[in-house]
Amino acid sequence: MLAINIENLYKRYRKQTVLKGVNLKIKEKEFYALMGPNGAGKSTLIGIIASVILPTKGKVEIYGKEPHLMKKIIGYVPQENFSSPTLTGRENLMYFARLMGYSKDKAKELVNEILERIGLSKDADKRVSKYSGGMRKRLEVVTAFFPNIKILILDEPTTGLDPSARGEFLGLIQEMKGEDKTILLVTHIGADAEIASKVGLMNEGKIVDEGSPEELKRKSGLKHVLSVETPIKSEKVRAVLSKFGENGLLETDRGYRIYCENAENVSPEIVRALDNIGCKIMRIEIEKPTLEDVFFKLTKKKMEDEMDECDNSNLQ
Amino acid sequence: MNVITATFNKTIKEFLREKSVLFWTIVWPIIWVLIGCFVFVSGAKKEVIPYIRGSITISMITFALTLAGMANLPGNISRDRERGLLTKLKSMPVSPWKDFVGRILGLVAFSCLASILVMLAGIACGARFSGTINSVFQSIVFLLIILFASAGIGLIVGTIIKHVHGAVMTDVGISVVTASISGLFAPYSSLPPVLQKFSQLYPISSANSAIIYLLLGKSYAGYNPLSMNQVTTTIILSFLLFVVGLILYSKFCWRKE
Repeated sequence: MLAINIENLYKRYRKQTVLKGVNLKIKEKEFYALMGPNGAGKSTLIGIIASVILPTKGKVEIYGKEPHLMKKIIGYVPQENFSSPTLTGRENLMYFARLMGYSKDKAKELVNEILERIGLSKDADKRVSKYSGGMRKRLEVVTAFFPNIKILILDEPTTGLDPSARGEFLGLIQEMKGEDKTILLVTHIGADAEIASKVGLMNEGKIVDEGSPEELKRKSGLKHVLSVETPIKSEKVRAVLSKFGENGLLETDRGYRIYCENAENVSPEIVRALDNIGCKIMRIEIEKPTLEDVFFKLTKKKMEDEMDECDNSNLQ
Repeated sequence: MNVITATFNKTIKEFLREKSVLFWTIVWPIIWVLIGCFVFVSGAKKEVIPYIRGSITISMITFALTLAGMANLPGNISRDRERGLLTKLKSMPVSPWKDFVGRILGLVAFSCLASILVMLAGIACGARFSGTINSVFQSIVFLLIILFASAGIGLIVGTIIKHVHGAVMTDVGISVVTASISGLFAPYSSLPPVLQKFSQLYPISSANSAIIYLLLGKSYAGYNPLSMNQVTTTIILSFLLFVVGLILYSKFCWRKE
């Protein structure tokens, strides 16, 4: 059974068309990750599903009905920290439980259960302003844990979290995978999308490809990626490396990712070539492709905020 | 009922725990009561001093309610909007008017507390009143008029100005300026004719004068604000401000993009 069915969806803001004919089908109990760079239209798409944004054209159905009729079963967690910092964790959850229609006693019972489950019982009566970023995010995500919620929609939940908080958070989401909830996770971080059963890659208002993480990697044809860390990043270094990346070259925070057919043979040549221009290599490693690599291969666009893609064809 | 109760609980707790809200709505008017009761009565006849203090106390209760309605309510709404809570609420089975009723009830409860504390401070400083039980009840109605007119202005500004600090500062500015020119900080008789007209028209100062008239008499109010025309105008303007604020709030703060 389809939990979410979207056909030919368009959204236009004044002169800008953000969604350009999106088609998306998510089965009941499926864990679907929607991945794409900022500005791809992900948040607009889930905003429409959560009935926060109105579509311009197209069909959106939640279990065969219009989204605004299904608000009771949708748990939408926006990107922002929406919990009240002056209230305690327990008071925040009580507020949302009561808004969902639970009686005071039932709400208390549910909130206690949820707090126990996410390990926040001890800190439940502390004000949220005293919580760490990870604790606050966990609290906000569980506002979608109430039993009547069948579809959980998470918008970039790990943004701004430190690695340990991110790990904790993803653990919580993975736990939920086995439950009778459909999860739609929006992210621009490949590692977050890896835990999903199906991933949709979104670019410029369209879903350009979808499948399981393994399937997408297989389809991309990328077997290996060469990760090179250099102390400096410059035009000269990029020009040298681009000669080896016949499938593209991506500049990252730490260095470069080179998409080439024959990574093992190419590695010594890269070391030599960089040595010739006086650039030392801090680390060179053959890695398995990530979903970010798949996305780059498909769109020649970087998944992160800045779109400073380093397209091989531009450099040659 | 769940939505109204939940929103009421949230709103009142946020008001009571926010130090700036407590300071500006309760401590600040009390400071002015203390200053006014001891500084502004010098030279007055001994037997009228308690009633001048009563008049100052009433004006400061009005000022507290004005700040509560004009600054606390829009501040609370803007904060919720800025941190994405309104986006979250739009995705939930919550109707805007129930959310609004919860917020207003929270504001009324908090304002009651602020009024009682300012009143007690005034009484402790020697303020006295001379109204009947009936005039006390009528005064409570005028206090509600003040609160609803202020909330209306606050909602209009809070809807138009999206940033929390911008909304709060604009409303504080409006409340202080209008209080100054409408005779909340000075006797009605000392105002120039044009401001006396404004004082009669502006629902907050008009209701303030009505309370002073009811609890202290005409000589302290400076004129009779309970004429049919003025009371009707005050009620209609307050109602209009509140309704316009409510419409703007539910239309723009809850609008789907």
